[in-house]
Amino acid sequence: MSRREGNLEDPQADSSISPLPHLESKIQQTHSLARLLTKYAEQLLQEYVQHQGDPFGLPGFSPPRLPVADLSAPAPGHAGLPVPERLRLDEAALAALPPLLDVVRRRQAELNPRALRLLRRLEDAARQARALGAAVEAVLAALGAETRGPRPEPAAAAIAAATVTAGVFPAKVLGLRVCGLYREWVSRTEADLGQLAPGGPA
Amino acid sequence: MPAGRPGPAAQSARRPPPLLPLLLLCVLGAPQAGSGADTAVISPQDPTLLIGSSLQATCSVHGDPPGATAEGLYWTLNGHRLPPELSRMLNASTLALALANLNGSRQQSGDNLMCHARDGSILAGSCLYVGLPPEKPFNISCWSKNMKDLTCRWTPGAHGETFLHTNYSLKYKLRWYGQDNTCEEYHTVGPHSCHIPKDLALFTPYEIWVEATNRLGSARSDVLTLDILDVVTTDPPPEVHVSRVGGLEDQLSVRWVSPPALKDFLFQAKYQIRYRVEDSVDWKVVDDVSNQTSCRLAGLKPGTVYFVQVRCNPFGIYGSKKAGIWSEWSHPTAASTPRSERPGPGGGACEPRGGEPSSGPVRRELKQFLGWLKKHAYCSNLSFRLYDQWRAWMQKSHKTRNQDEGILSSGRRGAARGPAR
Repeated sequence: MSRREGNLEDPQADSSISPLPHLESKIQQTHSLARLLTKYAEQLLQEYVQHQGDPFGLPGFSPPRLPVADLSAPAPGHAGLPVPERLRLDEAALAALPPLLDVVRRRQAELNPRALRLLRRLEDAARQARALGAAVEAVLAALGAETRGPRPEPAAAAIAAATVTAGVFPAKVLGLRVCGLYREWVSRTEADLGQLAPGGPA
Repeated sequence: MPAGRPGPAAQSARRPPPLLPLLLLCVLGAPQAGSGADTAVISPQDPTLLIGSSLQATCSVHGDPPGATAEGLYWTLNGHRLPPELSRMLNASTLALALANLNGSRQQSGDNLMCHARDGSILAGSCLYVGLPPEKPFNISCWSKNMKDLTCRWTPGAHGETFLHTNYSLKYKLRWYGQDNTCEEYHTVGPHSCHIPKDLALFTPYEIWVEATNRLGSARSDVLTLDILDVVTTDPPPEVHVSRVGGLEDQLSVRWVSPPALKDFLFQAKYQIRYRVEDSVDWKVVDDVSNQTSCRLAGLKPGTVYFVQVRCNPFGIYGSKKAGIWSEWSHPTAASTPRSERPGPGGGACEPRGGEPSSGPVRRELKQFLGWLKKHAYCSNLSFRLYDQWRAWMQKSHKTRNQDEGILSSGRRGAARGPAR
């Protein structure tokens, strides 16, 4: 039993998990993906604020931190949780992000129709979040950890309808919030997978 | 930055929507304490204004937390704090703002006007759209590639700067019947262009125009009427080959193939050739190459690499009387002239030459003479080709005599060819 498996703290771990080299490879690949997407998420945020105009993007800009349905930022105690639990939270967040990013993209298509790179990044981010979420889910399955049960339908459709009728400024703020959450969660996922990746802390 | 003193009475406005509509609140849940959300509202929300106009705005606090007032509130626009003299308290819960002589919006998503609490936290926001209505687009030009599609380009009015997102829509219809159609593939050859890929009729005129629309109004271009056959272009001629002409050090032969898409229709096609020396950026153009697929470049420098390109104009297709549209140039093809002991001549035209090059004035006069002959004497068979074939024959004869006799006959040379160099 590897050091890594001994640290999973999962009483349900059994002999049906994938062979170790395959698991290591999967974890490493997913970790690399998360690292790459963290960089892309940062670029998305920079691109986003650029198109909303000042003071978005200026140091010290602090808009109201509006709560977003189905998703909140990683809790302060997240890093203290067992790794499988952290990965479950990561996976749930990554599953909630794509519809929210789609809503932001649709609104930005009205507000900044010529910002083609921004729109493309938002579209890519939704796809990448899905891919990373699926990869994390696969890692959890390979680890023999429980995955979440059926999730409630995302509220994105309602958010989309509301966003259309909301003012432009709230829509800009909401998009900033969603892009910020995307960056926080992919970065969080990278860190959590780093605990499992070869060379990570035991 | 906007400037000015408080203007007249505040603009009348509808009761503004809250910062977040009720539906969004129901979705998001109640605002968390201390989040700063939904504690004030700016009116008007997202107004659209002409450059140079004025704006009267208000920031009304909701009284959450209880007892909240407009005391200490201030405004920022695009992150810049506005001078306090532009603000005044209308009542205990409402701070007014007067902006005059507004500049055009800094970004197309709107200028960010925000109302702040004393501690700097953002209470509410509204986006201002300040700009100009569109002016009439103009200078529409269109072309059809091989009669299969239509691409149009135009110039936006007022040099395009309205400070607002302006949508351009290319419309077209058959002149005497049919409904209006809207082009769907934009920005194909620049920001103000559109491509219609299919379902175009020939032998019947189209009416084409551009409509420009933004938040402040719309404008429509003049209508362009055209027949697809009058604006046909095609691909560059393929298989362009450049080769030496025997040992002639001042000539190159250029051959090409008719563009395949229209090769069965190019009865009157025109071609143009351009060429340049390898390390030069100056092209020389030969434009009297009509409906033939080969030509000789003459008057070239010996021992020199030349780049050559050819393009085609499919004018007269299906009987069109219009000038046609030149294709793009073919990919450059290179070849070198043979080396020579003698210094070569300067540039020349696409005319077959043999023997020593004659001077420019002589050839110009000869060209004028041949042109006159064609016009008045119907000697259509006379051409530079015949003249140069004669000169090539003269050169060959001259070399043969040199080999046989070992001397040059200066008298005969002066009679058979142009002035000696």
